[in-house]
Amino acid sequence: MSKIVYKPDWNDWCPGCGNFGILSAEEQAIQELGLDYNKVVIVSGIGCSGKLPHFTKLPVSIVHTLHGRAIPFGIGIKLSNPELEVIINGGDGDQLGIGAGAFVNAARRNVDITIIIHDNGVYGLTKGQASPTLPLGIKTKHIPRPNINNNLNPVTLALAAGYTFVARAYAYDVKHLKDIIKAAIRHKGSAVIDVLQPCPTYNDIYTKEWYEKRLVKLDWDPVVHDEKESTQKLLLAIQKSYDYENGIPIGIFYQNELVPTYEDRIALNLYNYKERPPAKQEIEDNGKPLTLISELIKLIRVS
Amino acid sequence: MKINWTIGGAQGSGIDTAANIFARALAKAGYYIYGNREYYSNIKGRHSYFSLTISDKRVRSISSYNDILVTYDAESIFHHFRASRGYVIYNKAVENVKLENIQSIEPEISDEIKHFLVEKGYGTTVADVIKYLNDKNVKTLKIEYDQIAKSIADELKMPLSVVERVKNIIGVAVSFRLLGLSDIYLMESVNEFFKNDYTLKINTLGIQKSFSIVSPAYNLSQLKINSHKILLDGNTAIALGKTVAGGRFQSYYPITPASDESVFLEAHNEVIARDKETGDIIKQPYLVIQAEDELAAVCMAIGSALTGTRASTSTSGPGFSLMAEAIGWAGMNEVPLVITYYMRGSPSTGMPTRSGQADLKFALNVSHGEFPRIVIASGDHLEAFYDSIWAFNLAERYQTPVIHLVEKTLANSFIIADEEEIDWNKIEIDRGKFIKKLDNNNIPYYRFKITTDGVSPRAPLGLINIIYNGEEHNERGDIREAKVIRDRMHEKRMKKLEVADEEIPEEKRVNVYGDSDSDIVILTWGSPKGAILDAIEELGINIQVIQIRMFNPFPRKLMKKLLNDKKMIIDIENNYTAQAASIIKEMIMVEPTHYILKWDGRPMTRDEILFGLKKLLNDKVKRVVL
Repeated sequence: MSKIVYKPDWNDWCPGCGNFGILSAEEQAIQELGLDYNKVVIVSGIGCSGKLPHFTKLPVSIVHTLHGRAIPFGIGIKLSNPELEVIINGGDGDQLGIGAGAFVNAARRNVDITIIIHDNGVYGLTKGQASPTLPLGIKTKHIPRPNINNNLNPVTLALAAGYTFVARAYAYDVKHLKDIIKAAIRHKGSAVIDVLQPCPTYNDIYTKEWYEKRLVKLDWDPVVHDEKESTQKLLLAIQKSYDYENGIPIGIFYQNELVPTYEDRIALNLYNYKERPPAKQEIEDNGKPLTLISELIKLIRVS
Repeated sequence: MKINWTIGGAQGSGIDTAANIFARALAKAGYYIYGNREYYSNIKGRHSYFSLTISDKRVRSISSYNDILVTYDAESIFHHFRASRGYVIYNKAVENVKLENIQSIEPEISDEIKHFLVEKGYGTTVADVIKYLNDKNVKTLKIEYDQIAKSIADELKMPLSVVERVKNIIGVAVSFRLLGLSDIYLMESVNEFFKNDYTLKINTLGIQKSFSIVSPAYNLSQLKINSHKILLDGNTAIALGKTVAGGRFQSYYPITPASDESVFLEAHNEVIARDKETGDIIKQPYLVIQAEDELAAVCMAIGSALTGTRASTSTSGPGFSLMAEAIGWAGMNEVPLVITYYMRGSPSTGMPTRSGQADLKFALNVSHGEFPRIVIASGDHLEAFYDSIWAFNLAERYQTPVIHLVEKTLANSFIIADEEEIDWNKIEIDRGKFIKKLDNNNIPYYRFKITTDGVSPRAPLGLINIIYNGEEHNERGDIREAKVIRDRMHEKRMKKLEVADEEIPEEKRVNVYGDSDSDIVILTWGSPKGAILDAIEELGINIQVIQIRMFNPFPRKLMKKLLNDKKMIIDIENNYTAQAASIIKEMIMVEPTHYILKWDGRPMTRDEILFGLKKLLNDKVKRVVL
């Protein structure tokens, strides 16, 4: 096979797709944080958003996984080698529909990863079916009947599940989104960003124009500085996540770094985990195990 | 010499502990054991039992009969009296219990037993069963468990409720005395088991009192012990194998009968190892993660494997069904993933605590599309240990999922074996083309580089930018659908299986026992092997046994040679459709002439195999269902 010079694949998103904004913000965030590209792994799900890592110009690693499963892949990677920076990209259908179980349960662990939800209300690659964030009764142009399901609110869900960093952003406000992605990557623990994103091809209701009339930036301190204020700040954030009275709030809703990460919790119980995580261990020497079997056999010796 | 011992009782009442203490004591006296545990999907109250065969030589199976039956409750007597042929130990307090009044027994079982007793002219109380046994010359020992417990409670000035569990040790001690062995071994065993002073005192008194109420019926003596002995169950065997193999990440979702393996790994997750650089003894963490479901469990393990960690997951049928899609991803992305598959044998929830071999074809065909997968199956506990190491080696050498099949029977049964049967010299680690540094040959690094053997150098995430992608891809990992790419990449992946077929000696993929001159050959796989070998030994006729250990890639040449010109090929499996036989037919166009099949969820006993073989040989039938 002929050698291929390193370059990203040709980007096949529709013109005007919100994904362009997300990709651009994500790249800028990685660059501005000065991350070592060899240590960055973008894990993605299935759908238009799943293709994101293939289109980045940055030579980071890519793990383009299965529908709804990017989070567990990412957790397996991060816990085995905590020095890797794991960023997960997936759509609203991917993470809140087929992957809802993984999305909710990841919050219980608080692994130090960043999750970006491409929230456009539709399943784009399968031609515009309703996704879990499309409101009840809405009929986008390619669904035959108005949506019969209620929508769920990704920010509220993330807060209730226990994510320690929860934000909402907008795909075309690249600078704002970039800053939030940077904060999410820097955050110690599981961070979720719900990125509102027009789908110019299949979502004719929630368009660029629709959003841009309604977005308002949050102006408050979302950070929990003392454990005592964590419940109060969480409740305020939940309330705010539903508050559309003065427009759709974007920004960081909640951040709590006082909750120990999963890695910290493991290290409490497992000696040497941070120094010798699974991926950093030598297990053989010239074809023979380095694990000492005599110690194991003692466990089952009966005479 | 073989003595069969069964202990029965309500789930959660201490049967496991009793069987364990008994087995350890016998090991200390130099004996070998094979023990099988049967239980319901229930925490407390349903009938469970442990069957042990005790021998002065290594033993590989259980019997359908018991020489000593230990019971405390009435239900156990009703379940097992017809299999008793030596001694039945029972509780005086349950003498008057009527079969009809036992709530926990399944009504169909109860009706069948009632029918049996009534037809033979007996009543339906425990006392009636005892009479039946005495009429059949089975000896019965009436034990006043409550009175012994009370005397211990009085002596130690403890409440009866605390002492109540001593009944377990009484049953064990009475059995031990019957065998004619010294109480020293039992005391030692109890000492190892109970760390708490009170419990130790209670049990020691229990042993003393039990020894005074019976006299020996067998005359077992202490055997010469040449080496340390080990007690090894299937879950532990696999956990130990994974640990020594360098497995360092296991994700799982709780499921019977797989989870005990993960729990063992987590309990011993600070692995003692030698530092490669300094030679110092160090602790290496083994990460065990309980996932939210099997979908996440398998995906976490795959993610871990991408970092260069030896990663695995363990599950049973329902979990494996959920893992199907991700296993295909691992095949597509050439991930060395090990899945330990503990088969239970029924569809859906089925019989979740029973065994079977109904998932061979599922394992061979799991997930959509074609990709190479290696499928191995262990026939006994030691094989399970070595195979769990082999599984990692195969996974890394051929960079593809390896499915390691075992059954609930192996998981929950145990053996007493000689420690040297775990042989350091037999353990090797092969990481295949795993690279930790890049040189000029590898830059630019393409994860799926075309090579002559289909296997590409595999770098861990973190070394350089790597692209993994479940869609069809080029050498670098970019999404591609061009015919020229698809054809070559699919061929590259599938070729690994052909290379594996060339490289893995066929002798390693098949175990052959017995004489090749024999006209009769038995085909089997998995746990029935033990019962078959023990049965043939008892039968004393010349039958060759072929146990298939690897189904993919299938050892075609050797199997053809072994089955060539055999008059009688008997296929023995724990399923309805004779799945291994149909694989053989598909692979080498040879069809068994006879079948012995069983799908009741219980392990094959050597007596059942004897029955089956005699029926095939004498009655000229083609198929026997046990």
